[in-house]
Amino acid sequence: MIDGLFASANYQGVKKMLDATVLRQEAIASNLANIETPNYKRVDVAPAFASELSRAISEGGVSNVQQLKPTVTVDQTAVAQNRDGNTVQLEKELTHLQKNMVAHHLQTQMITGTLSKLRSAIQTR
Amino acid sequence: MLSVNLLPGADSAASAIQAEKVRMEVISQNIANANTTSTPQGGPYQRQVVRFETVMKNQFDAANAVQQVQVAGIEADNRPHRLIYQPGHPDADPETGMVKFPNVSIHEEMADLISSSRATEANLAIIRTARQMAMQTLAIGKGN
Repeated sequence: MIDGLFASANYQGVKKMLDATVLRQEAIASNLANIETPNYKRVDVAPAFASELSRAISEGGVSNVQQLKPTVTVDQTAVAQNRDGNTVQLEKELTHLQKNMVAHHLQTQMITGTLSKLRSAIQTR
Repeated sequence: MLSVNLLPGADSAASAIQAEKVRMEVISQNIANANTTSTPQGGPYQRQVVRFETVMKNQFDAANAVQQVQVAGIEADNRPHRLIYQPGHPDADPETGMVKFPNVSIHEEMADLISSSRATEANLAIIRTARQMAMQTLAIGKGN
């Protein structure tokens, strides 16, 4: 019975999204740390992760979702604004940082929601 | 080393704050010596520049492109010195009366100082949000 709660593709998907959020936080930290480093190219969570995750969830395969692993790669779309070849823009990174924090809040709330469903089933109230 | 990463990104941010601290020290050294006309090496003070470089956070994990920053070196700025006519100055050229002043521009140093201070603030913001995220993570499952 409990398996039904935890083995749903949605719950596993949220957990994977949380992994990706934590990884993105590290990527943003890496970008902001190197904001003055010549020729640094900004990194981010691989853009393929989001599409792979949504496909795995829509197919409903829990094992497909569990096998996914977010990675950090160099952002190929970012262009240098300066002649030093650095592709980091402070305001964009800070916006990503705030978005990431809200996403993290949402994901922890969703996990807490699943767990509190289980709790209220146990307590029957 | 097995490490539980409860504060994601905090070590990158810490490396940057460390590097910015060195940069600020060099800027203050430049400002302090903006009018120093003689040094132990002879000649006027030469402006110093910090060079940053990236270091891989974990070389053994190729899938992880997260990077930190470190100071690669402090090097001399080779732009020419300022020549000012001051015949009474002890370091003046006896024939022309010109004194070689350091190639430091206070305005440039102040602009660098502000950009360094902003970079430090941005990295502190990372640590602040990382802490909030850790608090939320620890609160998973709490509540009614």
